Amino acid sequence: MSVAFLSTAADLLRASVVQIIEGGRGSGGAGFAWGRPDLFVTSAHVVSRKRVTVVTPDRRTVSGAVIRRDTDRDLAIVHAAGAGDELPVARPGDPNTMRPGSLVVAVGHPFGMVDAVSAGVFQAVGPLPRGLGLNGKGSLPWVQADVRLAPGNSGGPLADAEGRVIGVAAMVVSGLALAVPVADVELLFSGLA
Amino acid sequence: MSGDLKSLTTLSEQLADAVAAAGAALVAVHARPRLPSTGIHWRDGVVVTTEGTVRRDDDITVTLPNGKRIPATLAGRDRGTDLAVLRIAPGSLPVASLGDPGTLRPGHLVLALARLDDGGPRAAFGAVSATGGKWRSWKGGEIDRWLQSDLDIYPGFGGGPLVDTSGLVHGVNSGGLSRPLATTIPVATVNRVLTQLLERGYVARGWIGAAMQPVRFDLAARRQLNLEGGLLLLSLEPDTPAAKAGLLLGDVIVAIDGKKLEGFDQLLDLLGGEVVGKTVRLDLVRGGRPQTADLVIGERPRRP
Repeated sequence: MSVAFLSTAADLLRASVVQIIEGGRGSGGAGFAWGRPDLFVTSAHVVSRKRVTVVTPDRRTVSGAVIRRDTDRDLAIVHAAGAGDELPVARPGDPNTMRPGSLVVAVGHPFGMVDAVSAGVFQAVGPLPRGLGLNGKGSLPWVQADVRLAPGNSGGPLADAEGRVIGVAAMVVSGLALAVPVADVELLFSGLA
Repeated sequence: MSGDLKSLTTLSEQLADAVAAAGAALVAVHARPRLPSTGIHWRDGVVVTTEGTVRRDDDITVTLPNGKRIPATLAGRDRGTDLAVLRIAPGSLPVASLGDPGTLRPGHLVLALARLDDGGPRAAFGAVSATGGKWRSWKGGEIDRWLQSDLDIYPGFGGGPLVDTSGLVHGVNSGGLSRPLATTIPVATVNRVLTQLLERGYVARGWIGAAMQPVRFDLAARRQLNLEGGLLLLSLEPDTPAAKAGLLLGDVIVAIDGKKLEGFDQLLDLLGGEVVGKTVRLDLVRGGRPQTADLVIGERPRRP
């Protein structure tokens, strides 16, 4: 068997991933370019203020504005005009066509480790199994995966083996990684990109 | 597509194929409040799961891969190996394809599977961390092979299979045997326990009926007997196998079937196997003199 490297898929993904920092402190959460090189998806819980700092993959620090925020679905859109036109936008995938056991890759900044890659497998997309509580939000559709996420991964992409984004890393419940399905990102972007 | 991406996609597809193949033989077991656990259709009409996840003896149901929920009856449970066996209607779903855990080595890629609801099977991915020989669980059961992986046993994954990249089942994952590590009860142990549970509903363990303590002889005795020590009989109940064999308080058992006894583990290993009714020859030291006795191993009384 030939050796399978994650690096190509991870590099494709990392090229679109930024750091999103509030108030100039800490390493904040993650985000990624979506639709346009100056628009970034992140988690609503990463951005509580209107103004944020965006650190691009080539380590430039630019200012950004939160232009949409949906706390119910834990998503937000940040506009950073200074991010440049070169930043490649992430390619969309489709969690609904994925089979359980398929490889997934997450990129984020767990505990401040910038652009860290973690790998695992897809479990399901849909409501959480009954018995895994999530304050009523368990009935929303979630991309559920066996992949290690930590604080700092929030807002970062969860992608398939070809680096296509299937969800936005949101939280961990009973060890299970939960991401907001990419369809909800499209919804939040409607009329923007 | 670049070569890297192609081989990664191929691996991804292979893993998903393995999950689909093994997942066809999995059921969700509803035998506890809240979250179900996972069961493997091991033989036609026979489902294996972990003992710790079966919290009730009646009103058990299983969810099939097609989403249908059917009744199941508990055939038996064994705390020692953390296994429980359920009976369901034959022909309900495909039977699991079993692998040989002896072929798994540290570093081999493996999956833990589960079925939690009427959705598809679920998977966790990792590698075999360690393998080894026979061991005894802290609950006293004999496990034929040490098989440990770095997989996360998520809620509901207990009772599910450890599967290789071709979809073969190598055993039953237990979160309860050595938490927080994922330990797998290998195929051989499952087959052995399953046979006993189907026959009599429990696993019979050997019993002598005496309390013992390891002792070391003094220098003179060591020289005279050419023995280091053995197990000293401290108490003896009437009508037990030990009493029937004519053992007396103060006897020191120094060998079983000609094999020197060096500690409790050897005796426990012997009694953990299928030995009920078997006669063993004991070498004793009684009053400083060697002697022998034949003992018929009894069945350990079961707690209600």
